Amino acid sequence: MKRETTFLRGLAIGSIVLFIVGWQSLGFQWNVIRDGTKKLGTFLTHMWPFDVSNADVILRAGVESFQIAFLGTTFGVALSFVLAFFAASNTSPHWLIARFVKALAGVVRAIPALIWVLLFIVAVGMGAFPGILALAFNSTGMLVKMFAQSIEEVDEGVIESARSTGANRLQVIGRAVVPTVFTSLVAWSLFRFEINFRYATILGMVGAGGIGWELTSAMRMYRLDEAAFIIVVIFVMVYTVELIGNRLKRSYMTY
Amino acid sequence: MKSFRTIGTVGMLVLLFVWSYRSVDFRFGDLWKGLGETRSFIWHDLLPPDVSALPSFIEPALQTIYMSFIAMVLASVCAFFFSFFAAYTTSPHPLFRYVVRGAASFFQAIPALVWVLILVAAYGLGPLVGTIALFLSGTGLLTRSFAEVIEEIDEGPVEAVRATGANWCQVMARAVVPQALPGIVGWAFYKFDLNIREAAVIGMVGGGGIGFSMQKSLQLFQYREASMAIVLIFVLVLLIEYVTRRVREALL
Repeated sequence: MKRETTFLRGLAIGSIVLFIVGWQSLGFQWNVIRDGTKKLGTFLTHMWPFDVSNADVILRAGVESFQIAFLGTTFGVALSFVLAFFAASNTSPHWLIARFVKALAGVVRAIPALIWVLLFIVAVGMGAFPGILALAFNSTGMLVKMFAQSIEEVDEGVIESARSTGANRLQVIGRAVVPTVFTSLVAWSLFRFEINFRYATILGMVGAGGIGWELTSAMRMYRLDEAAFIIVVIFVMVYTVELIGNRLKRSYMTY
Repeated sequence: MKSFRTIGTVGMLVLLFVWSYRSVDFRFGDLWKGLGETRSFIWHDLLPPDVSALPSFIEPALQTIYMSFIAMVLASVCAFFFSFFAAYTTSPHPLFRYVVRGAASFFQAIPALVWVLILVAAYGLGPLVGTIALFLSGTGLLTRSFAEVIEEIDEGPVEAVRATGANWCQVMARAVVPQALPGIVGWAFYKFDLNIREAAVIGMVGGGGIGFSMQKSLQLFQYREASMAIVLIFVLVLLIEYVTRRVREALL
């Protein structure tokens, strides 16, 4: 208890110092905050009633966001499923390979998805394609780590008993490892889809297709009533996927 | 029964895949070509990073840390207040719970980048916008997580304090907060970690910090400068991830 209190106190002091230093160096000015907030207030009054005249285009863009997220997740899961067996220490052909794959996944994971989008846009042009690639890539960075962790948690006995029947490496993986880890792989994939879906709604802001682009262009033309409608659509989309995801996770765990 | 369900699920996933694949006009041929182009872009244009640009990125990188931290602290303070109204065990009235939870879900579900887009139009470009956007989405997430922490505490001490005739505020201060504090601080630092990743990209749509500098370099086709910024973002993400993990470990 004593040690914990000391630690919390140190953390609090450090936090206060960092807060003050940060506040000073960012140089926030009260008059800017005041004027901006006033402007924001008038924005809010212009947001209602919603402008739904472009609803068909907006909803179609929302569907495209879903498709980008779905394809990105699918490719990411497929790639990770293969790579994870090279990354997990108990199924990898060599420990050096396991280290290498894990390190590579770590690098990909630590660079945010939107930066991957920018790179892919420069390389292959605008549209849904760079969005899908970026999500697939970024998902792989995370899923390889999670899949490999699940595989490493497989009981050594299960693998041993399969191996003792004379099964080769692939058979051991197919017969013993995959059935054991399947549930957790599905759960992780589902979790990642939720993340990708959130990303897919904003990818368009940097030029990668989906509903984010509609929001950017509405804001550029100061069509605040349309922007408000798009924000509500984004909220409904993200929230629905979260609800369905929670429901699926629960039913999957019980059966 | 089980196999029926599996076949149904797989069939639905395949249908979704084919539908998505066809309507976004995606071709596997493009995939190989695209990956080849990306590889050559990274190899020839992006690498090696221009180290001489590093000093000019230090200031924006610090800005990103400050933005993330200040937004996290402000969001924690607000969320701390709201979470008592959102938690089942401490909410004075169910009505408070519904309103606070609903608002928190709304602010959590909408990505911070959406707020940036609107705030930029009101406040102009800069780190102020990024900070406010992270504050809004952070308050949403933290209110819900803090409420969960509060709901999970041991009811025994709460009952004991209440039995002494303490009022609502006293019960919160004497029994609830001391128990919930480590969990709350842990969540707050987790949000700090998430903020760093988001802050790095928030700059790309005008929220200041390292993302803004990277976007500027990309637009000027200074790819090696941009890759230096990416390396810095990478280091920043790993550093803060390490620090926040240590803090969380020490707390639990």
